[in-house]
Amino acid sequence: MLAITDDDLMAYADGQLAGERREAVEQALARDAALAARVASIREQNAALRDALDPWLAEAIPPRLIAAAEGRAGGGRLLRMWPALAAAATLVLGIAVGWFGRDAMLERSGMPTTFARQAALTHVLYAADQRRPVEVWANEEAGLVRWLTRRLSFDAHVPDLNPLGFALVGGRLVAGNEKPTALVMYENAEKQRLTLQWRVTNEKAGEPGETSFRYSLENGVGVFYWIEDECAYALSGPLDRAQLLAVARVVYGQLATPSKPAPAASPPGGSVPKTTPEQPRVQG
Amino acid sequence: MADAPLPQPELLAAIPRLRRYARVLARDAARADDLVQETLARGWEKRRLWQAGTDLRAWLFTIMHNVFVNQRAGAAREAANVSLDAESEAGGGAWQVPVPAAQFARVELAEILQQVGRLPVEQRETLLLAAVEEMRYEEIAVMMSVPVGTVMSRLSRAREKLRRMTDERPAALKRVK
Repeated sequence: MLAITDDDLMAYADGQLAGERREAVEQALARDAALAARVASIREQNAALRDALDPWLAEAIPPRLIAAAEGRAGGGRLLRMWPALAAAATLVLGIAVGWFGRDAMLERSGMPTTFARQAALTHVLYAADQRRPVEVWANEEAGLVRWLTRRLSFDAHVPDLNPLGFALVGGRLVAGNEKPTALVMYENAEKQRLTLQWRVTNEKAGEPGETSFRYSLENGVGVFYWIEDECAYALSGPLDRAQLLAVARVVYGQLATPSKPAPAASPPGGSVPKTTPEQPRVQG
Repeated sequence: MADAPLPQPELLAAIPRLRRYARVLARDAARADDLVQETLARGWEKRRLWQAGTDLRAWLFTIMHNVFVNQRAGAAREAANVSLDAESEAGGGAWQVPVPAAQFARVELAEILQQVGRLPVEQRETLLLAAVEEMRYEEIAVMMSVPVGTVMSRLSRAREKLRRMTDERPAALKRVK
């Protein structure tokens, strides 16, 4: 029998052992509760570290870094040596790309565009993640709904997009700059991923009962976003505007329905099509 | 620039992880973003060396590690008498990074962050890459140009220190009571 070293336990806890050594560790853990406790403690520490460090991932990205990623701002060293120049360059760049003007305009119209941009970046971040795109997988949907409801202090509803060919992958909590944001992800047979994100907001939807869909293209990711019932929603994905809008309408319809009294004539079994709530106007 | 463009969506998607890695290295939000910017600029300069289909994040992480190590070596040469090794690294421990309290539903998460900040740079770097980014030890060893055994011993020491820091706190509270 192979002797189990501390390195074996650590590598096992990190999911880095395979084959014979992995089996040897598993057998040792089954025999020795103290070893099992050490593996559990390493895994708890890993989870705590991820919980502590993941919120940084959801922060808004400064325009100068987006420019650098696009190969536009080559002179990193020059900018670092001249903070004033860097500030000026960022400002000029910002105006050139229209960030500031657009932000101000959209914020005046009641919706901080930063939510759409953050939603798009969060979408790209997690949709591209093969290993852990979500924290809670679809097979624990009921638990996911309870968890998101508790963390947002807002009743979570996970729309069913199966009729559109998008199956639920799962969900996660994204700690935004201001308020926690819930994220649920869907995937179709072509491995295209959609994310729906929502968070409680103080913004009002405009006139009572009047919601509008807004569209924004953020670095190649389309986002439809809207405000309804104290919540801001953003649907992001690699679809074109018309397709994404179609999905947004379905999502909106399903989210709006549960909060309204069920139609009186609804027979048991629910085979009658749901009453479609009045759909928002489209802007942007 | 048109000859070998780096893939835009992946590059943009890598930014949050690059920023996090940079913060763990620099412990200062502004310096961290300078490091990310420098890394992205180097990435563009060296884009012909990136092989399409390979892990872009790991490639950028390697560039960032090297940029950081070279900057530190340069700083150490400039201030020949000032030691930049374990002593001063382990001393301060304060993150010059905004941590909005509202982000943390659990108080202990903010504490964990503080504790990570008190680890020597090689240890907190290894801990991030292995425990949070879930990179393979071998991958980390190649990135940092050290043997796999060194990666594992740094990791094990980092974990032990964190564990002790966590254990010490409740003991101190008990004494007060």
